Amino acid sequence: MSSKTIIQNTKIITVAVAGNPNSGKSTLINAIAGSRLHVGNWPGVTVEKKEASFLHKGYNIHLVDLPGTYSLSPYTQEEIIARDYLINGKPDAIINVVDATNLERNLYLTIQLLELNIPLILALNIYDECNEKGYQVNISKIESILGIKVIPTIATQKAGIDNLLNELILENDNTICKKPAPVKFNNNIEDAISQIEKNLNNYDAFLSEIVNVRWLAAKVIENDTDVLNRFGISNTEEIIGNSCEHLRLAHDNDLESLMTDERYSLASGLTKEVLIRTKTSKIELTERIDKIVLNKFLGIPIFLAAMWLMFKLTFDIANPFVDWIDSVTSGPLSYWTGELFAFIHTPAWLISLVTDGIVAGVGFVLVFVPVIFAMMFFITFLEGSGYMARAAFVMDKAMHGIGLHGKSFIPLLLGFGCNVPSIYATRTLENKKDKILTSLIVPFMSCGARLPVYVVFIAVFFQKNAGLVLWLLYTLGILVAVLSGLFLKKAFFKGESPLFIMELPPYRMPSFRSLLIHTWEKGKHFLTKAGTYILAVSIFVWFLLNLPWGVENKKDSLLGLTGQAVAPVLAPIGFGNWEAASSLITGIIAKEIVVGTMSEIYVHEIKDEPVPDKYLIEDIEKITIDLGNAAISAVKNVFSTINIATISSDDDGGQDSLKGVIKTKFSPLSALSFMVFVLLYMPCIITGVAYKQEFGSWKWYGVAVLNGFVVAWLFALAVFNIGSFLGYGV
Amino acid sequence: MKLTQIKIGQLSKITKIGSVGAVKRRLMDMGILVGEIIKVEKVAPLGDPIEVTIKNYKLSLRKNEAENIDIEVL
Repeated sequence: MSSKTIIQNTKIITVAVAGNPNSGKSTLINAIAGSRLHVGNWPGVTVEKKEASFLHKGYNIHLVDLPGTYSLSPYTQEEIIARDYLINGKPDAIINVVDATNLERNLYLTIQLLELNIPLILALNIYDECNEKGYQVNISKIESILGIKVIPTIATQKAGIDNLLNELILENDNTICKKPAPVKFNNNIEDAISQIEKNLNNYDAFLSEIVNVRWLAAKVIENDTDVLNRFGISNTEEIIGNSCEHLRLAHDNDLESLMTDERYSLASGLTKEVLIRTKTSKIELTERIDKIVLNKFLGIPIFLAAMWLMFKLTFDIANPFVDWIDSVTSGPLSYWTGELFAFIHTPAWLISLVTDGIVAGVGFVLVFVPVIFAMMFFITFLEGSGYMARAAFVMDKAMHGIGLHGKSFIPLLLGFGCNVPSIYATRTLENKKDKILTSLIVPFMSCGARLPVYVVFIAVFFQKNAGLVLWLLYTLGILVAVLSGLFLKKAFFKGESPLFIMELPPYRMPSFRSLLIHTWEKGKHFLTKAGTYILAVSIFVWFLLNLPWGVENKKDSLLGLTGQAVAPVLAPIGFGNWEAASSLITGIIAKEIVVGTMSEIYVHEIKDEPVPDKYLIEDIEKITIDLGNAAISAVKNVFSTINIATISSDDDGGQDSLKGVIKTKFSPLSALSFMVFVLLYMPCIITGVAYKQEFGSWKWYGVAVLNGFVVAWLFALAVFNIGSFLGYGV
Repeated sequence: MKLTQIKIGQLSKITKIGSVGAVKRRLMDMGILVGEIIKVEKVAPLGDPIEVTIKNYKLSLRKNEAENIDIEVL
């Protein structure tokens, strides 16, 4: 068949992939779609949406991954998304991924999917482990009872995938897999359903054209107002009539629970019929690991050690590459771009815009890439292996005390390295409230980029107590995080705290392929999104520094003027001069820039040293060698150092003169106040991009910025005034 | 007797779920049903939450929620 005829015959088939969390659904999708996977968000929400399109048997198959859910209740965001898609998205078929080692609970969801009466094919996943456990599943029996096709799969080994796709589209009659047999409830419920079905059809004769009325009747019994409102049904009592009297009496008036009970009893009846468990006396690996990992005395030390290891690995591996990218973009890349533009007779201002604005901006973004890649890799590993749930279990009490979830601990900890990946890490929290609250207090964790600021000021004023001052700053960050968490919870999330009813899945080795795909997706997303914003901001700041045209003194530049305008606000907290204000303004791109701007303003042109003649070939050679060295240091770091590397570009030269000026411009007290302000004032723009990506809008970044400014100003005010009162002023 | 009151490792049967609304539905969706056999496996190092075995898998929940689950020892 020529490619032309394929296109002509191509029919689009939409397939929804549904399943429990931890059923290996993601791995299965990766196995099917691999690099064709497109990751985005469901409209208006923060839940990840994966899609892929590919040709199979002359059909254009469009896969849509639904969020992993245990049920299709109207109570959690994931479940609402999944069921909305199934009802409104009108998929042609469903692939239901079922964990064969945990049949009953997985089939509970299957029953609910079958009720929708959409063609369904069941992927009996993790089939290898099920055999190892000594379980035997009678596949043909499931097929005959449910009237669907069941395909055993081992997603981690890509086994059964072809089979699954082949059965999805039946060759002979050239159609998709068949619709399931209707789900039969017990007689009392069936009676009620058929009566309600009749009432519904009487109420609205056209209902059957837009929805499966039998399914809707079950929702009437459950009083699922979310669904009923959508189909314009408000008079449920009238529609129920007297059909449910029996049921109400037998079930304490709780009809929703009645339906849940019924579905579970179908799932458990089915499981009993198809599953044979041969008794094994051996204690399972998961139990043996948990005996140690969740042990009363060892649990917390092991958790802390695991966190420390992850933190160390992330930043140790990423750091040499960060330095490499930094040196390449600020050195050769910037230099040769300048040369190139000079060669084609570009005016000097434009060269400056390109090298100091655009190239530098690109550099800022690229510098974060290694950290994000390393971080996402480990987070995905923790989640996929099953340890993340244990970490939450161990830490929940401590975090619950300040209104958070056990899993919140991890993003907060990562915040000490860099706030950007830690905002992404809040993705592991299922509940939206937990997620937002956690990401709002992450910025108070003193990240690596703030360290260069502290280092300069501590070197000038607090050399004797360097350790103590640094410790105080980090501790202040944590303290503010806790207080602000309690406050924000009151302000935004009144009412009861989210539930903690969480599965502790068996430990499993995540597939390397899946880890890489996930890591790559996240990194790619960041690169494209952050790239655009940071570039814009970087160019904007360049204009601030260089307008009005030909400005000589930085004081008269737009930045300097803005700094002068802002300075009075900073006066009560001890550093009401335009230089400090301007540095803080550029620091919104990334906090380490505060130091850079200070050098530029205080020490003027420090960079104007003669540049020796350079050769492009030599530079390329050096860049390549340096990359090799970076890789070697990354490996060395992992095995050698005990200290954790921090992301800070060690400033070369110019610092001594900067320190001299700072000594005259600040007092020890105003320096301390300045450091407190830098610690707290606002999460940088790059962190903002992460917020935008995770929450779909700038709203929560706005809240974080506002919160940061108010808190920073108040705390700096307190430091400065209490200090002055105690006589440490001036 | 409440789920929080039984000894670790003791098998028991759920007799009543006192929660309502979303909490009750979530518990039931996870397999916490009247008549089901449940076993408390562990208590977290800091004393909360707890880990139980239900329907042949491991589930963790806070004592707050466990308090509303009535059981009888088998």
